[in-house]
Amino acid sequence: MTLSAAERARYQRHLSLREIGAAGQEKLKAARVLIVGAGGLGSPAALYLAAAGCGALGLVDFDRVDVSNLQRQVLFDTAAVGELKAEAGRARLAALNPEIRVVAHALELKAASVLSLLAEYDLVVDGSDRLSTRYIVNDACVILGRPLVSAAIHRFEGQLTTYVPGRGPCYRCLFPQAADGMVANCAEAGVLGVLPGVLGTLQATEAIKLITGVGTPLVGRLLTYDALELRFHEFRVERRRDCAVCGEAPTITAPRDPPAPAAAAAAADGVRRLSARALSALLETGAPAPPLIDVREPWEFATGHLPDAVNIPLGELPERLAEVPRTGGAVFICRSGGRSMRACTLALAAGVAAPANLEGGMLAWAADVDPTQPVA
Amino acid sequence: MSCTVRIASPLHSYTAGAARVGGRGNTLAEVLGDLEQRFPGIRFRMIDEQDRIRPHMRLFVNSEEARDLAAPVRRGDTVHVICALSGG
Repeated sequence: MTLSAAERARYQRHLSLREIGAAGQEKLKAARVLIVGAGGLGSPAALYLAAAGCGALGLVDFDRVDVSNLQRQVLFDTAAVGELKAEAGRARLAALNPEIRVVAHALELKAASVLSLLAEYDLVVDGSDRLSTRYIVNDACVILGRPLVSAAIHRFEGQLTTYVPGRGPCYRCLFPQAADGMVANCAEAGVLGVLPGVLGTLQATEAIKLITGVGTPLVGRLLTYDALELRFHEFRVERRRDCAVCGEAPTITAPRDPPAPAAAAAAADGVRRLSARALSALLETGAPAPPLIDVREPWEFATGHLPDAVNIPLGELPERLAEVPRTGGAVFICRSGGRSMRACTLALAAGVAAPANLEGGMLAWAADVDPTQPVA
Repeated sequence: MSCTVRIASPLHSYTAGAARVGGRGNTLAEVLGDLEQRFPGIRFRMIDEQDRIRPHMRLFVNSEEARDLAAPVRRGDTVHVICALSGG
């Protein structure tokens, strides 16, 4: 795939690098890279891969740009608020580099569609914000033999690893099993805006190295980054012979959606739903108030909470379930109702009678009951 | 023996926000037991009822992965507690 005069001018600084040169730039032009998640990580990764002349870029994201994304998701500007991330990102990348092809995939990655989508690409960059998506992407990459550059972030901390099937471990070798809700995501825990800038740029670096064949990729090594101490650490990670997807006797031979949502939905059948107004009315009856369990992070709780609410962050709930009264119809509370629903299913399974979920969370409380209620 | 333990960000709520704490013990089991004394509940976030490392947690002594709690810890070592992160 030869370079045009316009491309030679654009990529001159790459052509000057002996390690890249025209041959490397032509490999970049021929490369097809799928970026899963156009968020904090996907933004810098996509921008640098587009600028570098990666010939085809796919952007997977079903979400729309929210103003709270702009603190770190540098792929978008203020005018893009409300637009589909995949479409807004495609427009931005096309403007940055009209020499490349950008495809917007405004869809939620599911087991049923992941293989056909990934088959169109040579390499995957994962910056999604769900563990369930990370497993689907990993399993599909192992099955299709696609390299995967994976990163994740939390508050001031980041992780990065490159997985190349047949050459090292996969994501399941590192973390055999994890479920969403065990660890707070960025919306719940907060994140330093520049943190994904560092990790996403490293993902682009790894992708470019794999495509051009220069350097030593981060295969079999986990890199962690602590922004507060400005420290990187590196750990050796071995392939697991008993890995469920890349091991000697794999039990996962096709990507599958996590069973957790179905189980949660079934369990949720025993969960009561309380609107903010209904809870307000309940608290004003004068009858003994139900236990109020606020499962947000401590900093969210500190910003404002209902009187007498007890703070048990969702991540700590499994081992603190004994603190939840078994009777009295405990009401679980979070910011918007998602975490508290997961807490309800945990409580129900642990024998808490008739747990209730505050539908819409503290945001609904502020909207429908008390407009002066601060919500983090 | 004294060592340093670096705590994964999602567990900082147990250590009053500290990313790095001191630890004592000649094995990983002893170090985690020491942590539990000072930060009640933190061990259960990493280790299940069968004393296995939870599948979304990894423990490293210096740069080498510890697959079980018998892993030796020497003076000056750093134990790293790594947790699967979902943020993107």
